[in-house]
Amino acid sequence: MYGWHGRLLRVDLTHQKVSIEPIAPQVLKDYIGGRGLAIRYLYDEVNPQVDPLSPDNKLIFTTGPLTATTAPTGNRYMVVTKSPLTGALAHSNSGGDFPTWMKRSGFDMYIFEGRAESPVYVWVNEDDVQIRSAEHLWGKEVPETTDALLAETHPEAKVACIGPAGENLALMSAIMNDKHRAAARSGVGAVMGSKNLKAVVAMGKKNPAFYDDAGMRALSVELSKEVGVDVKKGSNLRIYGTAYVPQVTNALGILPTRNFQAGTFEGVDKIDGVALKNTYLITHKPCYRCPISCGRLTEVPEGKYAGKGEGPEYETIASLGSACGVDDLAGLLKANYRCNELGLDTISTGLTIAAAMEMYEKGIITEEQTGMPLRFGDADAVIEMVNRIGYRQGFGAILAEGSYRLGERYDHPEMSITARKQEFPGYDPRGSQGMGLLYATSNKGASHMEGDVAYEEVFGVPVKSDPLSTEGKAELVARFQDAFALIDSGGICVFFAIRYVFTKERMVWPIRLTQLLNLTTGANYTPEEAMQAAERVYTLERMFLLKAGSGPEQDTLSPRLLHEPLPDGPAKGRVVDLDKMLPEYYAYRNWPRGVPAPEKLAALGL
Amino acid sequence: MRVRVKLIANYMKLLPPGTKGNTFELEVAPGVTIGDVLGPLGVPLDDSTVLLLNGYQVEADALLSEQDMITAFSAIAGGDRSLSQPDAQKITM
Ligand code: SF4
Repeated sequence: MYGWHGRLLRVDLTHQKVSIEPIAPQVLKDYIGGRGLAIRYLYDEVNPQVDPLSPDNKLIFTTGPLTATTAPTGNRYMVVTKSPLTGALAHSNSGGDFPTWMKRSGFDMYIFEGRAESPVYVWVNEDDVQIRSAEHLWGKEVPETTDALLAETHPEAKVACIGPAGENLALMSAIMNDKHRAAARSGVGAVMGSKNLKAVVAMGKKNPAFYDDAGMRALSVELSKEVGVDVKKGSNLRIYGTAYVPQVTNALGILPTRNFQAGTFEGVDKIDGVALKNTYLITHKPCYRCPISCGRLTEVPEGKYAGKGEGPEYETIASLGSACGVDDLAGLLKANYRCNELGLDTISTGLTIAAAMEMYEKGIITEEQTGMPLRFGDADAVIEMVNRIGYRQGFGAILAEGSYRLGERYDHPEMSITARKQEFPGYDPRGSQGMGLLYATSNKGASHMEGDVAYEEVFGVPVKSDPLSTEGKAELVARFQDAFALIDSGGICVFFAIRYVFTKERMVWPIRLTQLLNLTTGANYTPEEAMQAAERVYTLERMFLLKAGSGPEQDTLSPRLLHEPLPDGPAKGRVVDLDKMLPEYYAYRNWPRGVPAPEKLAALGL
Repeated sequence: MRVRVKLIANYMKLLPPGTKGNTFELEVAPGVTIGDVLGPLGVPLDDSTVLLLNGYQVEADALLSEQDMITAFSAIAGGDRSLSQPDAQKITM
């Protein structure tokens, strides 16, 4: 077999049993790998109604056929499970080194099931797979856990682990790999914690051969050069990371500000990529085999915010920064570092704190509940709440449930900025209408990683379009969603892949990605077949949602976005026109009333 | 009339020398377009640039009025170019 190993590792934590199983070649071809392969298994093996934090849920790590190849940015893995935050699907993506090492351990996929009686970690060194006690690591934060595991396994191994937040079942807890990279969203860390699984350590030298070795290497070099030329010319992602984006969203009036009460932030110049570059940036840092290198290695050398780590990227600036009204860059960095060390998703954490701040300022909650003043702009309060969420202390125990449950508890659902109970990324959809439709329909709840139409509405890719218009957004969202399903199943990074997906006519035509897949696997996809596989993946995920009870009635947004017009900026006066776009979207997908039509399912072989 | 120009991120290098931050003001005559202002600075006026006038997307031929705010930034994808799709015919699968 080429490109894929055709093998999965199954770890039964309840019975401390490990088994290796073949994966049918047809399943690999039909679902590509990564996110696609995982949903096929999750759908077949897990009852969608299951309690996400019970032993009956399964936690799946998957790589794609392009992971650990010569393809630029072939460094991703996906964590797929039923989400405790949304009650729907979680598929969280991460890069760094761990995914490549995981693939080299000789498996396309790890499936963790059941629940260990006491804390364990799993050490995968090719076919030597050990379930070891992690009692001595329980309670430890991510950097310490990672260092300890490297010391007791192998210095060249790579680690994915949870921090205290995952152990304490915070619903926005992440799985951190290589210390600073996160499969962040939808509470995947809590699922890992519920299984008493502290960490997974991987290494190996097994990699499937390419179907066409010379061809794959040549194309990889060609594409790497193509990107490299642009990077040399002065790539924003290289120079500033995604941290330059707040200037863009602020200009468009869609930078989440004080819990989405406004779309422009007066402190933007203090927390953007330029400010970062002039102060705490040490250097840019790439994931494995990435010519772009958007990662930021930063350090606050001294003072109460002293710390060192990776970040912030845009989403973190928007959530822990402007959404909390924070314009103190050092404080924002500290909050970012603490999220990474505790194993928390910065987006959901920041927006949950922002919701609490709005409640506090409006007198809905008081110091009696919160234990301390929670005012917008107070970086110390943000950092303290991050710590309390991670350890579930005091009011942190309530915030650890996310903003949706906070809004319900205090009877102000409009202050929870969520779709499918998951907090929004940093684009106010009232000024970016396609993003509104995207959040409402995403299988994983509000996310930019499931079809980021901000590429078009904000950044002009594939073509410039008016973010305030709803025209044509239904097709665009569906196409982006499918394109992202392809990218996530392949195992490469969106930042690279996006330039090889669309035509100027806004059609998806992933000719380069298809070539990469074919040279790697020999599967001989046409671009149409690759896109059909992507739609198959997206649709099967939707079927999982329908069975989980997260169907069309959940295809909506928090009331604020639908009923409270933005008060400022270019999108002033606008709400999300979801009523107009949603029926168009269902029609385009052939999902009558939000349910895939039988002929659609048949055409996709589902 | 006076207008303001904001150049974001990698376009900041096109700002007039001595500009503080990413924004400067200038005096323009009536009838002047965004392109007239940005072209001479070296801002690419093609698909690789997104242009905003007071936060709304416009083309380079948009006319300016008193107190307008012009914003320009590069369209991104990977290495900051908008698309790299080769023509279908040029590629053999
Ligand atoms: S573009 Fe950024 S996130 Fe993507 S692979 Fe490169 S460094 Fe990692």
